[in-house]
Amino acid sequence: MSKESQTEVVVQPNGADVNPFILNKRCTEHGRVLARHRREVRFRAYGIAALTTAGLFLALLLVTIVSQGSSAFFQTKIQLDIHFDEAVIDRKNSGDPDIWKKANYSKLIHTALKSRFPEAKSRSERKLLYGMISRGATGQLRTALQEDKSLLGKTKSIWLYASSDIDMAEKGKITQDGDETSRRVRDIQFSWIEELRQKGQIETGFNVLFLTAGDSREPELAGIWGSVSGSLLTLFVCILCAFPVGVGAAVYLEEFAAKNKWSDIIEVNLNNLAAVPSIVYGVLGLAVFLGAFNMPRSSAIVGGMTLALLVLPTIVITTRNSLKSVPPSIRDAAIGLGASPIQVLLHHTLPLAMPGIMTGAILSIARALGETAPLLMIGMVAFIADVPRSLSDPATALPVQVYLWADSPELGFAEKTSAAIMVLLGFLIIANALAVYLRRKFEYKW
Amino acid sequence: MTKKTLKKTMDKVESSEGVQSDKAVAQSKKSTKNNKTSQLYVAADAASVDDAKSSSKVVEKEHQVSIAARQLGVYYGEKQAVFDVDLEMYANSVTALIGPSGCGKSTFLRCLNRMNDTIAGCKVTGEVLLDGHNIYERGVDVVLLREKVGMVFQKPNPFPKSIYENVAYGPKLHGLFKNKKDLDEIVERSLVRAGLWEEVKDRLQEPGTSLSGGQQQRLCIARTIAIGPEVVLMDEPCSALDPIATAVIENLIDELKSQYTIVIVTHSMQQAARVSDRTAFFHLGEIVEMGDTEQIFTNPKLKRTQDYITGRFG
Repeated sequence: MSKESQTEVVVQPNGADVNPFILNKRCTEHGRVLARHRREVRFRAYGIAALTTAGLFLALLLVTIVSQGSSAFFQTKIQLDIHFDEAVIDRKNSGDPDIWKKANYSKLIHTALKSRFPEAKSRSERKLLYGMISRGATGQLRTALQEDKSLLGKTKSIWLYASSDIDMAEKGKITQDGDETSRRVRDIQFSWIEELRQKGQIETGFNVLFLTAGDSREPELAGIWGSVSGSLLTLFVCILCAFPVGVGAAVYLEEFAAKNKWSDIIEVNLNNLAAVPSIVYGVLGLAVFLGAFNMPRSSAIVGGMTLALLVLPTIVITTRNSLKSVPPSIRDAAIGLGASPIQVLLHHTLPLAMPGIMTGAILSIARALGETAPLLMIGMVAFIADVPRSLSDPATALPVQVYLWADSPELGFAEKTSAAIMVLLGFLIIANALAVYLRRKFEYKW
Repeated sequence: MTKKTLKKTMDKVESSEGVQSDKAVAQSKKSTKNNKTSQLYVAADAASVDDAKSSSKVVEKEHQVSIAARQLGVYYGEKQAVFDVDLEMYANSVTALIGPSGCGKSTFLRCLNRMNDTIAGCKVTGEVLLDGHNIYERGVDVVLLREKVGMVFQKPNPFPKSIYENVAYGPKLHGLFKNKKDLDEIVERSLVRAGLWEEVKDRLQEPGTSLSGGQQQRLCIARTIAIGPEVVLMDEPCSALDPIATAVIENLIDELKSQYTIVIVTHSMQQAARVSDRTAFFHLGEIVEMGDTEQIFTNPKLKRTQDYITGRFG
């Protein structure tokens, strides 16, 4: 070893050479580096802790919603032998379908129930017995008769919707514990359920009604389709209004407008508008569309236009940002070849900015899908049982439906609320996945 | 330019009037005010007459002024970037603009096809004469102008489209073809002239951005010459390229000058010396010295020029 290198190498007491670049805890000179490393480890730990907490809460949320709401996709039905009594349905033997439609079908059900459980004699027991079947079951009978007219005078065994309480008991949400008078399902009803179960005349199947029906006062008959179609119509109007106007405004501001005092004022206002509480837009929609223009209350068209106001600033801002991210060299190239400003925009800038614009638009529209407050102000919170068929029909939207059901006291609506949230989250996930897909597909790397 | 050469110029103008197109004559007759300036300037520079080995006809063509600046000033808002620049750029020759960063040479270059129009707060005074016609005259359409004056930029900036589409874009904008076959021919001719055809002929549908930096820049040159310009402006076309790609572009410039007027801004003294016929030295928004490249680099008249060229300041 030469003298020069000896001075640089740390020699330990035992004489062995040590690599000076290996951290040594006992070495005082390495203390600062060690402290720096500890700080890095600590910082990373904070990040991981934050992420874990967020993940846990998300998992908790999803587990809660799914465990509460998944049962709403299933429905309890009871099989009864219904005798389509001519005396009840068509006393005068007219054969007129209109008379058939208006017939007293609940009497048929009551008769069937009475013959199925003859032990129910007293008035209160009869009432409990009739309460086993949903009020919507009459509609099932009416449809069955319309589909097959030969049923008149015959007996057929039909699966009828059970009432919400029986549904809850069958799903285990109401149990036979505690004081009988304080629960919705009495002991005698439990005994009937048990008897039906032994005969295989009660079963829980997929709830088609939930996905195809509108809202109802009866939890077992309430469906999500009314609010889903309301939401879709609203979003359709919202996209139709907000996208062209928002992109147009952004393009003008970014590409054509002179940069002066006025454009500064507009820019500041745009940023402020994006942060305005959503209910304020509801008030605006109420005053302008309903008050000034007298447009139909609770309709999808007004809801869509109100939500368009809400998402407009966000669309303008995201569009401007994606236009800004198109490199100026592309513009220069096109201008240098003699393209007019409109040609530069349509041939180059806009197509290149489109993925960003689409992503921004989809995310803001997804936000509009989840908005409740503005819709409350324009009357979309009303109870609407029909599925909206046009833009001016009274409609409600998914988040509003969640709000309405969450507000209902019936136990049956609790699971519907969670199920509606699941549907809403499903739509949001689809929207976000679409945004990510579009960004990945059309993203251009400079 | 000296008075002597100007006088000669005017003489030549009279004699070569027949060379001009009837249209140009008609236009110049319309406005008597522009009559003097809107003639084709044909200057016979005394210095280059000496080394004229070819026939006098070629010399005449070489010294035909293609584009000229007259008292050109550029303001960015309140700040003046270019001061009263007079510069003539000859047809079929390469004019190099050199000078330190921020001296206004790029700004000057961008004035020649009115690219500065797109910059807010940019004001241009004076005149730029393309074939004797002021391009800053009221009513001039920049689309027609840029069909005649193409530009190649510092950073290769092909469109994120196919190689074919890149070259075909200009002809499509200006409607320079009758059918698909015409367009194919234009694309091939332009790529051949830009020296890129052999490398890309089998992959015309691949994106232009998939090429290497030097190829991209040649694609940009092909794109520029596809619309058949008279003048090609190049703003530091090699600054983002390696020496080999630079050499290829420089050879290309040498070939292209037989057909186009080329004005090139460069930071590289060697490049200016290699490719250009005439060189203008810019400093602080003014032309310090202008002359034949050989003279500027071997025997500059001013000390400032010499200092810059030898690297003593800049």
